[in-house]
Amino acid sequence: MSVFAMRSDLPLRGDTSGRFVALLVMVLVFVGALAVTVNAYVGGLLDNWNRSVTGTLTIQIPLSDARNGDVNAAVARVIDVLSRHPAVAHAEAVPRAKVIALLKPWLGEDDAVNDLPLPALIDVELRAADAGAVDAVSTSVKTAAPGAVIDDHRVWLTRVVGLANGLKIVAIALMTLVTGALGLTIIFATRASLTEFAQVIEVLHVVGAKDGYIAGQFARRALIQGLLGGLAGLVLYAPALALVAWLAARVDAEILPTVQLTPGYWVAMTALPFAASLLATVTANMTVRRALASRV
Amino acid sequence: MAFSRKKGAEFTGDTVALEGVELRYEDGPRVLADVNLSIPQQSFYFLTGPSGAGKTSLLSLMYLAKRPTQGRIKLFGEDVWEAKRARLPVLRRRLGVVFQDFRLLDHMTAFDNVALPLRVAGAGEITLQRNVSELLKWVGLEDSMNALPTQLSGGQQQRVAIARAVVHRPKLILADEPTGNVDDTIAMRLMMLFVELNKLGSSVIIATHNEHLVARFPFPRIHLENGKVTVHEPAGANP
Repeated sequence: MSVFAMRSDLPLRGDTSGRFVALLVMVLVFVGALAVTVNAYVGGLLDNWNRSVTGTLTIQIPLSDARNGDVNAAVARVIDVLSRHPAVAHAEAVPRAKVIALLKPWLGEDDAVNDLPLPALIDVELRAADAGAVDAVSTSVKTAAPGAVIDDHRVWLTRVVGLANGLKIVAIALMTLVTGALGLTIIFATRASLTEFAQVIEVLHVVGAKDGYIAGQFARRALIQGLLGGLAGLVLYAPALALVAWLAARVDAEILPTVQLTPGYWVAMTALPFAASLLATVTANMTVRRALASRV
Repeated sequence: MAFSRKKGAEFTGDTVALEGVELRYEDGPRVLADVNLSIPQQSFYFLTGPSGAGKTSLLSLMYLAKRPTQGRIKLFGEDVWEAKRARLPVLRRRLGVVFQDFRLLDHMTAFDNVALPLRVAGAGEITLQRNVSELLKWVGLEDSMNALPTQLSGGQQQRVAIARAVVHRPKLILADEPTGNVDDTIAMRLMMLFVELNKLGSSVIIATHNEHLVARFPFPRIHLENGKVTVHEPAGANP
């Protein structure tokens, strides 16, 4: 990159404050990458869940309904009602084997599971996902089986969305903190450099350098440090991302559906080191200009 | 020499004019008191006086590194401290300063040190390469162009410092003891460079302790003592 080949009027060797900036940009980009990933992944999960959950209902016929006869009879009644209902696209009893299979991850492979008294479940697909349809279907089902519990997954989804938003807020807060820390560090590192290179700056002044020229020297240095640090941050993040992806892949797909990362995600990831470098560059430039403006 | 005469003066009046200038360091004694001084265009002055008399301070007022506590300084006809801050670099680009302690940038080669005033002013690399090489050759440093200042002797560093001060053909050259670290032969050669630049249109002020040098050239002398300046015409000069 031509930036690295550019001649600089400031000595870069042995420049500890500059290295500190690079290190902090690295941390910022790492945390930023983490935040972007959490955001993308949580967003993806929510989409996935939202898509699979909206427009569906799960109806539970508890065993207590057996008092009025067979549970199977209650299920048959409800299915009969549902299949004639205008708002329902499809209704189907969940086979007992499948219910047991769903419970196995929690209860283990023990044969005792097979003997458990389990409620009957009916999966319902609605034609439209509006609240009116849910209410209409609920009323019809209650008539057929008064003990039926209708779950439109909304409570569950609301809580999941709450968790997801919480995670996003934490990620954004972390980003904001690290960005603020980076800004402050650059201001202090630049001021330290101004003192360190006071003689160089004096000579530049004497030979007629404008403030912008001197600020540009510092800004270019911050840009180089920022780009180096930013790329290092991404490079460090790659194995961390791979590890998280691997851990997520080990989790049952029923609980954590696979999330496809969008092109937007990759654009954001690529933009991170450049955004951090830009922040470093602009901050350094402004710090030097402000410091010089108060001098002779 | 690569220096060519520039078309006429770009300003009217004196190169530098000090009117009632006082310089006092914070809570300290007065270094300069009520200094009135006019340096006409294309003039050549020595600046003499005992150590600590304020020669360096007077020069630093002229190269705009210090602001007088009182009085006015005009450079190239412009009242310096009335001008906007952004104007100062423009004025400084018409100055060439040789520091007593050289102030070369140690991380840059001799070539880059000399090129600095041209680069700062945005000169093209081709002109710059030619001018800098030619000047370094002239001051006898063609073999040390790529050396860092720390690899050069005191005399060589001094020549780099002088080359840096004159490479952009300034209208005013301010030199603080520019021949302090070199033998007589090189001192004369450097003096000849200043004289030649003077003939080409620059005003030159050379601060020196070297009475021998002052005696050898028929230039007037600004003498600084106890914060006051007096100007002495050279012996035998026509007023």
